[in-house]
Amino acid sequence: MNGFWVVLIAALRGFLRDRVLHALLGFALLLLVLAPVFSLFSMRQVQELSTTVALSAISLTLLVLAVMLGGFSVWRDVERRYTASVLGLPIPRSSYLLGKFAAVAVVLMSTSIFLGFVSLVSVHIAASFYPPDRSLDLMNFMAAIAACSLKYILLSAFALLFSSLSTSFFLPVFGSLAVYLAGGATQEVVEYVTGPSAQSLSNSLITTVKGLYYLLPNFAAFDLSFQAIYGIPLSVEGLLLTFGYFLVYTSLLLLLACYCLARREFP
Amino acid sequence: MTSDSNCAVESSGLIEITGLSKTYRSKKLALVEALKNLDLLIGKGEVFGFLGPNGAGKSTTIKILTGQIRQTAGSAQLAGQTVSDYRCRRDLGYLPENPVFYDYLTATEYLAFVGRAFGMSDSVIRQRAGEVLGLLDLQHAAKRPMRGFSKGMVQRLGLAQTLIHDPQVFIFDEPMSGLDPVGRALVKQLIKDLKRQGKTVFFSTHITADVEEICDRVGVIVQGQLRAVDKVSDIVIGDTDNYRLHVRHGDGSVIEEIVSRNMLKQKVVNAWADQGALEKVVPVGRNLEDYFLDIVNNVNK
Amino acid sequence: MKKLLALLFMVGLYVALVVPLGDHLRERPLNVKLGYTPDARLLKLVAGGQQTILAESMTLKVIFYFGTVIEHWIQQEFVQPEYFNMFKTIEAAAILDPYNMDTYYFAQAAFTWELGRAKDVNRLLEHGMKYRDWDESLPFYAGFNSAYFLQDYDSAAKYMQKAAEVSGNSMYTNLAARFFYEAGDSRMGVAFLETMIRQAKNPQVKRLYEMRRDVLLAVQTLETGVADFAERFGKQPTELEQLVVRGLIAELPLDPYGGQFFLDDKGRVRTTSKFTEKLAVEPDKGE
Ligand SMILES: Nc1ncnc2c1ncn2[C@@H]1O[C@H](COP(=O)(O)OP(=O)(O)O)[C@@H](O)[C@H]1O
Ligand SMILES: [Mg+2]
Repeated sequence: MNGFWVVLIAALRGFLRDRVLHALLGFALLLLVLAPVFSLFSMRQVQELSTTVALSAISLTLLVLAVMLGGFSVWRDVERRYTASVLGLPIPRSSYLLGKFAAVAVVLMSTSIFLGFVSLVSVHIAASFYPPDRSLDLMNFMAAIAACSLKYILLSAFALLFSSLSTSFFLPVFGSLAVYLAGGATQEVVEYVTGPSAQSLSNSLITTVKGLYYLLPNFAAFDLSFQAIYGIPLSVEGLLLTFGYFLVYTSLLLLLACYCLARREFP
Repeated sequence: MTSDSNCAVESSGLIEITGLSKTYRSKKLALVEALKNLDLLIGKGEVFGFLGPNGAGKSTTIKILTGQIRQTAGSAQLAGQTVSDYRCRRDLGYLPENPVFYDYLTATEYLAFVGRAFGMSDSVIRQRAGEVLGLLDLQHAAKRPMRGFSKGMVQRLGLAQTLIHDPQVFIFDEPMSGLDPVGRALVKQLIKDLKRQGKTVFFSTHITADVEEICDRVGVIVQGQLRAVDKVSDIVIGDTDNYRLHVRHGDGSVIEEIVSRNMLKQKVVNAWADQGALEKVVPVGRNLEDYFLDIVNNVNK
Repeated sequence: MKKLLALLFMVGLYVALVVPLGDHLRERPLNVKLGYTPDARLLKLVAGGQQTILAESMTLKVIFYFGTVIEHWIQQEFVQPEYFNMFKTIEAAAILDPYNMDTYYFAQAAFTWELGRAKDVNRLLEHGMKYRDWDESLPFYAGFNSAYFLQDYDSAAKYMQKAAEVSGNSMYTNLAARFFYEAGDSRMGVAFLETMIRQAKNPQVKRLYEMRRDVLLAVQTLETGVADFAERFGKQPTELEQLVVRGLIAELPLDPYGGQFFLDDKGRVRTTSKFTEKLAVEPDKGE
């Protein structure tokens, strides 16, 4: 447990001092500040549009963060041989990996909280230009941002799993990007191939798609943006299922990553 | 989960290596036998020099001892615990070869990182960090990020981070590399001090002079095999065949003369008889360098 | 061993969660599946040269979404699709990539009949005609919509004229003539639908057109039967069953949308299905 905290704090220090990260956050802030300007494009739905822009900006920022931090933090330690000095300490490798993961998760969480506040302000400014029929549903908005950050925390666990498997950064970075794209599509694809409109498809294809559907993460579950934008009531059962799914899927990924890292050699 | 590591009572050595072998599988699937059947026992309070030319397998041994890589065969224990268990490193100070540390941290922050990993409290860490930085002449760089450190400074910080928790066992991989003569002297003094405190030090090097001065025992490894293990004093003095006499004559001139064991008594008597002062009698053995080169050349033959 | 058990437990937990989650997502409100599409001008700004693919994916998304709606209709279950978002998305797609025929074809197929948005669709088709100036199907659709749904015969004539010019095919002038001759008649709808059924590639869309045609044919059969009845017996029938009893029609046609046909007080053919009402009984007069 001790090793976990030590690695977590050291990794957080590293993230806080990372210039690339500062630039990225600056860019996200700029997008959010500009959101009210963008939203003037829409005459009918200024608040809806600014909410969309804000949620997209947050989502994009978290995606880059998850892939970058998740993919690079362990990979860089191995590449620059920091592992020789860190793993020579009495720190179990699993604590090391979980500490790294926790650091990434903390950054993702705090970024989404910070950007969430900024975007609330931004949406309010936009809405003041053209007062909307219905004011923003704060609960739904926060739920959408929370679900979004859970999604990217899960993605960063994938990036960590890949970097505990591979010596090159191709797998962590492009692998997790691929998972991101595939995970966003599985629900729609599986609904399509199991629907009656796809009766002409071969059985083996349908089985493959279903197999992938249960193997890959299902990011559709984490998309609450529509509920946030239009204030549609959230289903409590759905939220609980999504949260449980996040916990179990992430734990499985981390378990697997710990297993792989424990077997790695660092010559 | 094996818990037998706890029952290894009364192990005969602090570092215990038996039949240790390592075969690397390189990129092109070629096999490299880096270490072959190494047996070694290092006792408490001993300073052991692990001497070998480049590529002999020193770092391979040390990486197995510190859990970075897994042996292909054999076993290794630190303080009675098998090295694959991270807990065996709780009383170890380890300096990797050409070390690199999280360079976004300052020297003090890194020492705190290491100290906390060993479960030290923050107040003790603060006090010890000051001490070890002083010991390695790094106080001036305490608050600087390590990104700007020279190679020698990094090496000294590497030594400082092995000392902060005051462990019983030290493993250094090439501790003198990258250091200037002042730094080398500092490290030699440091190891001597550790010996005086009764610590166990196992370090690798390819420089015989380092061993000669500070080690109790030396092991010579060449091409992955341990070729010899000896007491340094035995090597330097033990195989003495000749003596070098320094005799000061009446006119003030000093004459040096090499004599064999048989002739020694005669010569000493003669020197006295000539009213000269016998200033020094130095036993002349093979020195450590000859000893080392002999072994290496033998292997290469 | 302990680790393996923990792993098995987690996998079990995963299986126990992923199935209800999948079901839950499948049952999401349809509008959540479709999502919200920002204004096309904004999208164009940020699309960064990827407008074509973005437009195509938006159109596909709507087509796919509408496919699930049609599924419900075919199961004779009435669901109201999220028209506003669907149309917004399709409109945005047409602005991003005005050349994509899928977009117009889909708008024509989806928004006119059951949803009664002929006016919006014609606006979209006008936009498309500026770009796809070689394509006769856009003015053809627009002409049909004007005549059949909007009863605007002047515009219809102009569109059909344009279709004839663009294609060099006199069929369109003939069709135009026929449309006017059958103005307000369900035979016009059947003729158009037959044309569309012949062209449709997507089986679902084909099925949709067939359902619409069957509704029109059923109503036609019943209306002819009622007229025959009145002629033969000198009074209006009170029940549709009378047509069968008197041997005017072999049996009562089924309503493809799951309703029951009946005669109202004024002797008009009606059905209990909301959609059939909309399709066959009171064609939309525009907004
Ligand atoms: N990762 C590796 N893959 C393949 N061969 C290696 C690897 N690391 C070391 N070797 C080889 O193993 C031998 C011993 O290396 P090493 O233990 O680093 O020697 P040294 O005594 O100089 O520290 C050398 O021949 C080296 O080339
Ligand atoms: Mg070495």
